[in-house]
Amino acid sequence: MSDSGLELSQEYEALVQFLYIAPVGLVQADLHGGIAMINPLSAQLLMPLSRDGNLTNLFSVLEGVVPDLQHLVQNFDAAYGMVCDGIRVPLGTVVQARSQPAMLSLTVLKLDEERLMAVLTDITRQVAQERLLRQNEAWLNAIMMGVTDYALARLDAEGRIDEWNPSIGRITGFEPADVVGQPISILYPEGSTTPERVHDRLREADQSGWSLDEGWQRKADGSRFWGSAMIVPLRAPPIGPPELDGFLATLPPFSQPASKSYSLVIRDITDKREASEAQRRIVSCDHLTGIANRRTFFEAGELEFTRGLRHARKLSLLMVDLDHFKSVNDRYGHAAGDAVLREFAGLLASCFREVDVVARIGGEEFAVLMPSTDEDQALLGAERLRLLVESQQVDIGDASIPYSISTGVATVASDSSELHSLMKRADTALYAAKSAGRNRTAVWKPA
Amino acid sequence: MSPIHPIDFSQPDIIARLQQCSVEELDALEFGVIGFDDQTIVRTYNAFEAKMAGLSAERVVGAALFNTVAQCMNNFMVAQRFEDAAEAGESLDAELDYVFTLRMRPSKVRLRLVAVPGAALRYVLVNRRL
Repeated sequence: MSDSGLELSQEYEALVQFLYIAPVGLVQADLHGGIAMINPLSAQLLMPLSRDGNLTNLFSVLEGVVPDLQHLVQNFDAAYGMVCDGIRVPLGTVVQARSQPAMLSLTVLKLDEERLMAVLTDITRQVAQERLLRQNEAWLNAIMMGVTDYALARLDAEGRIDEWNPSIGRITGFEPADVVGQPISILYPEGSTTPERVHDRLREADQSGWSLDEGWQRKADGSRFWGSAMIVPLRAPPIGPPELDGFLATLPPFSQPASKSYSLVIRDITDKREASEAQRRIVSCDHLTGIANRRTFFEAGELEFTRGLRHARKLSLLMVDLDHFKSVNDRYGHAAGDAVLREFAGLLASCFREVDVVARIGGEEFAVLMPSTDEDQALLGAERLRLLVESQQVDIGDASIPYSISTGVATVASDSSELHSLMKRADTALYAAKSAGRNRTAVWKPA
Repeated sequence: MSPIHPIDFSQPDIIARLQQCSVEELDALEFGVIGFDDQTIVRTYNAFEAKMAGLSAERVVGAALFNTVAQCMNNFMVAQRFEDAAEAGESLDAELDYVFTLRMRPSKVRLRLVAVPGAALRYVLVNRRL
């Protein structure tokens, strides 16, 4: 072999080895799922899912866990683009084995009219960590709500109470024999819940990590209390990294569940309905202005996107900035600046509907998320707000402070499927409004 | 290359025979032989396997089998069975249909997993499957 031939074959071998050891799964397939190329990590992840022991067709290998993949690809009209981006594929009960991944992430890119590229990663560990964090948050929430006692139960996959905890007796007066093996509806007054409703709540918990509701609940003696009940999915925790051990130790002392299960936390908040509302505001609202805080905004935004994707709803976003706010602070002092922010937040809240989420997401940055609102309606809302701000001044002591706002408007189009990209567009429009001289509204336009 | 193969893919007591083979004899076999030690480091990688995979033995011998050479087997269907057998101090001799990703093409193979407690090497044998 010539020197350059040898060099080429060595490079080829190195390249092949590079693909052999790549720590992500890569699959190239045709538009019908026929696998043309596949690397070892894909085989590691997909072989346990393959029903016929072959890796011939990506759609059929994934059929049990992503049944709509073929549909997604076929309904993807563009010649090129992301068919799905990092969707989470719970393997659940498909494969029951020790050390087997529980959750994959799947990205499918359409390269052209002939080819798909799929990227697979095992995200079991990240998901486990997220779940622990969510539980942590749930417990934190329970504490922050100022509640002194709670009942804790473990539910099986069907929503039956499958493990006794003395706290159940403490809160509800039931004995172990009354509740173990019973559906959670036993804890609710007759007629206030249905098996379907229980099922919905379990699914909701699966999808969003928890399901929380408030309402009347039943004690053993038939009396009622106003309860807050949260359901959080549990899974036989994959062995967490060492740094989580300390936290794991703080979790309630359940035995390890064999299959899918949930924890149910019930708190009697009969006496605290008002107080808990006040506490809720502390958690979800901006301390200065009283409107939703950044976290609440993102939660609401993600939720709207989940709903919007399912039902193809219109969703608009306004990003609002107070113009030259720094000079207000410099000239009148921070107390005056705070007064302006509070005043503006009040106007903002009064200008929009209950269903709109008005939030303070930064120092002088605000956002309004407007469900079921098209671009024209959003622009009208933004202008109404701008004119209202322009017409008013904020009185502090003997000074009156005039101020103005700039707003960027963006509306979800079919090619924008993430809160992040909608925000980016509204931000771009906001920047345009500012560069054009401030005290104006701009609508995002494709470049 | 000898037309008569001294070792058959499915023959009994194959591990004893493999251990007696020289590198040349292993290279003459018409199925893949991957031998690895108790740390899952590859010690034997015969010519047939090297040719199918497109990797020379020099690149593979000394590497961790399930993490760098054959990630495709790093699941409960293969790697776990070796682990379980080692933990229990038991022998393993099992055949199964599998798919390798030889030069990134899905390739149907028949695997034979062999381990004997106390033996220096454990083996994955790889036969082509039509």
